[in-house]
Amino acid sequence: MNKRRPYVRPMTGWWRKNPFFIEYMIHEGTALFVAAYALVLLAGLVCLAQGEAAWNGWLGALRHPLAILFHLVTLAMLSYHSWTWFKIMPKTMPPVVLGGRRLPAAAITGGGLAAVALASIAALGLVWGMTR
Amino acid sequence: MESFKADVVIVGAGGAGLRAAIAVAEADPGLAIALVSKVYPMRSHTVAAEGGSAGVAQAHDSFEHHFNDTVSGGDWLCEQDVVEYFVAQCPQEMVQLEHWGCPWSRKPDGHVNVRAFGGMKIERTWFAADKTGFHMLHTLFQTSIKYPSIKRFDEHFCADLIVEDGRAQGVVVIGIASGEFMLIEAGAVVFATGGAGRVFRENTNGGIVTGDGMALAYRHGVPLRDMEFVQYHPTCMPGTGLLFTEACRGEGGFLLNKDGYRYLQDYGLGPAEPVPRNKAMELGPRDRLSQAFWHEQQKGRTIEGPHGSVVHLDLRHLGERKLRERLPQIYELAEEFLGVDPAKTPIPVRPAVHYTMGGILVDGSCAAPLPGLYAAGECSSVGIHGANRLGSNSLAELCVFGKVAGIEAARFARTVSPSAAATLQKQAQASEHRARAIVAKSDGTERIAHLRKEMAETMERGCGIYRLGDSMQATCDKLDELRQRYKNIGIEDKSSVWNSNWLMAIELGFQLDVAQAMAYSALNRKESRGAHQRLDGFEQRDDEHYLKHTLALFDGDGRPRIDYSPVRITKSRPAVRAYGAAGEQAEKEARHG
Amino acid sequence: MADKTITVEVLRYRPEQDPAPEFQRYQVPFSDDMSVLQALLYIKDELDETLSFRWSCRMAICGSCGMMINGDPKLSCKTFLRDIHPATVRVEALNHFPIERDLVVVMDDFIDKLERIQPYIIPAEPRSLDQGAYLQTPAQLDKYEQFSSCINCLLCYAACPQYGLNPTFIGPGALALLHRYNADSRDGASAQRMELVAAEEGVFNCTAVGYCSEVCPKHVDPANAVNQNKTTAAADYFARFLKPKGSGK
Repeated sequence: MNKRRPYVRPMTGWWRKNPFFIEYMIHEGTALFVAAYALVLLAGLVCLAQGEAAWNGWLGALRHPLAILFHLVTLAMLSYHSWTWFKIMPKTMPPVVLGGRRLPAAAITGGGLAAVALASIAALGLVWGMTR
Repeated sequence: MESFKADVVIVGAGGAGLRAAIAVAEADPGLAIALVSKVYPMRSHTVAAEGGSAGVAQAHDSFEHHFNDTVSGGDWLCEQDVVEYFVAQCPQEMVQLEHWGCPWSRKPDGHVNVRAFGGMKIERTWFAADKTGFHMLHTLFQTSIKYPSIKRFDEHFCADLIVEDGRAQGVVVIGIASGEFMLIEAGAVVFATGGAGRVFRENTNGGIVTGDGMALAYRHGVPLRDMEFVQYHPTCMPGTGLLFTEACRGEGGFLLNKDGYRYLQDYGLGPAEPVPRNKAMELGPRDRLSQAFWHEQQKGRTIEGPHGSVVHLDLRHLGERKLRERLPQIYELAEEFLGVDPAKTPIPVRPAVHYTMGGILVDGSCAAPLPGLYAAGECSSVGIHGANRLGSNSLAELCVFGKVAGIEAARFARTVSPSAAATLQKQAQASEHRARAIVAKSDGTERIAHLRKEMAETMERGCGIYRLGDSMQATCDKLDELRQRYKNIGIEDKSSVWNSNWLMAIELGFQLDVAQAMAYSALNRKESRGAHQRLDGFEQRDDEHYLKHTLALFDGDGRPRIDYSPVRITKSRPAVRAYGAAGEQAEKEARHG
Repeated sequence: MADKTITVEVLRYRPEQDPAPEFQRYQVPFSDDMSVLQALLYIKDELDETLSFRWSCRMAICGSCGMMINGDPKLSCKTFLRDIHPATVRVEALNHFPIERDLVVVMDDFIDKLERIQPYIIPAEPRSLDQGAYLQTPAQLDKYEQFSSCINCLLCYAACPQYGLNPTFIGPGALALLHRYNADSRDGASAQRMELVAAEEGVFNCTAVGYCSEVCPKHVDPANAVNQNKTTAAADYFARFLKPKGSGK
């Protein structure tokens, strides 16, 4: 008797259908590079614990052209990750009220990116200072 | 046919219907409530009300003032005992909404704020920015979820009222998703189905505002009262008719003609001051403002636009910050729909049909002459609006009389026992048969969209801001013709699931009946009062002959029978209805005289 | 008035005759101030009475007319043909919901979720009507006002892939309304609503895609409501370890 027959559409390939979702998937994908780089640093730490020879071996491996290429790619991926991460950040936190007015989303994103830039420069300066 | 047994069935889940449902649930949690709506409740047209809801709130204000504003605003065609009850109940209902979570706009100290509104002597319009109806509706809807005794029938279209043994005993509904019919039996029926503004061409109303409840009650012998009084809102979007709230003027907006002149001062509404005084200039009542537009147009002092003549609603001097805070929706409407930044450019506006003052005849307890039938909100004529409604009185009405209707219907339902189920079923099946016949018919040639368009055009021509006997007669004739042609409609869609073609055809039938009641009521009122203004020798108010309500009675295929009933006057004798400086003078004289 | 025409492709689905949805094309005359909704109304009035869709207010407040327009969830009443012309307008039922017919989706699931979040004030301190209104400063109002602006148009659900993949997720709109009541100074039932916030169908389904907030026509920012509640739920989870046993919840 009841003639209803609701049609459920499949979700296959959903993330390819909208630029917003593609960006989201790339953002999620770049997290793999964050993890990969964390592993590289962890390996360095383990080598350091094993003694000078291992540590030098690790440093040597990092100088390999492929390792440098990996670092460049990772830098690009991490930059993208940071950019998209801070872009979504205002949506993920309670409103920040300064002097009775809400801090605009752009200020939060901008502040976050500035913090990343400052931290990177500071880390670079530190490493530069240590290696000279 | 499947049936559902309720104690009270409420048709319409806008502000009035939801308030009624909550009132029944609170009056007696043991009563089964069926709440029927042809849309999901939050789509109901209460949602589009913008400016605010009235209720005396300030120390220097009084119920007396609210009463006087309402009765004079209605050109003395109000039931004064009902108005007295109404104004006394408004503040409590507004507080009730506050307790239920309505986000009323506040003063810095946390108290609820009120704003000025047209025709109101003192600021008493409670508001939630410029989305008051939206917030009230969602507050009521979400609060209604708390009550387990309210069983909702969302997207169920009410096709008929069941009258048996001389009283209303239920409704027949169509499940829109399935196309299946259902009988809802009940001891009492509440209609809260809203207005009928869509019978006109340019209007502020949503597509669902088709006078369903009015037509159903009317067809079952209940008179429709004061149907000739149809409100034109003065500031609407050209073409679409979308509303720019009166709060634009309540916040200080100006109306300018093509010379940038505040023309309202030429129509007894002056003096023109930089900040409009209450009950003067831009804060005059809607009927007067829409009439002033008409005169400006006649004088060639309006601006020609792609959708007819317009004047300018100038908000520039209020500044972007205040506009964004107080009128955010108006700001966006102007920007998105018209490409106008109201902080920089005046908004082009013209009057459009907004509200039906008349409706199903009910007394102060919302009871119709048909036992067991109650009505509240715009579909009803409880008697508070008279010949012209004041802005912000209708949202308050939904709450005050929604509650009354609920309580009274619950009381009635407890005193009656239903007629034999088989008798009700038989009636319901007859209704189903009639409704299905519209789709089943295969030889119809009239297209419903075209009939609807012709109806809307003729209503605008004959029953507009100013009216003439000849053109009203032409409109009546045209409606008679359209009702005949309606019998020959052809429906392309023969399916069952979500067949909106079919439902729109049924709605058109409702609309034609209501339009006919309006046009004949208008033709027969040979005077000018409130929103009913004639230019054919009846330019004055005529209390001797027409200080009375019009009643339109359904007469099947023929023309409505027009009758009259007295107006209840308790403490305000009809006087000259004046605004601006003249109004203040008249008030002073009344006090001293 | 109408001097140009535009092609409108509508995803049709009539369950009594179509095995699956298919696009149908219409040519619609238009002027620059016409919305997609007006184009659909033209089709229904003049070209094809069988096309079904929900609509009412025409001014982006009733929430009826949400649909996919050229791939994005939008309100058809405030999407204008001038912004699409000369391209084709491609209209489909809202993503992630079952199609009842044509552009009409089955929205029972949302209504069910709305009912589950307890969308009403459960007062922290009950007041009688005689005691008058609660005090609430503009700053307190500001904490929840944006979330109370949700018109239930479901665009956020059509924008949320997590809801599409797992329909048990309470989803952005209902969670925004839940947060609206939690954030209201008059309400005292946050703890009661926490069970649902932290449940399997609660906030942790959200992976911060953020598209829900992008498409919201009323600036509700549901992603914000959901993510604020992740923090609250996590804090609540750890707070339970700190409380002495037997102190209740």
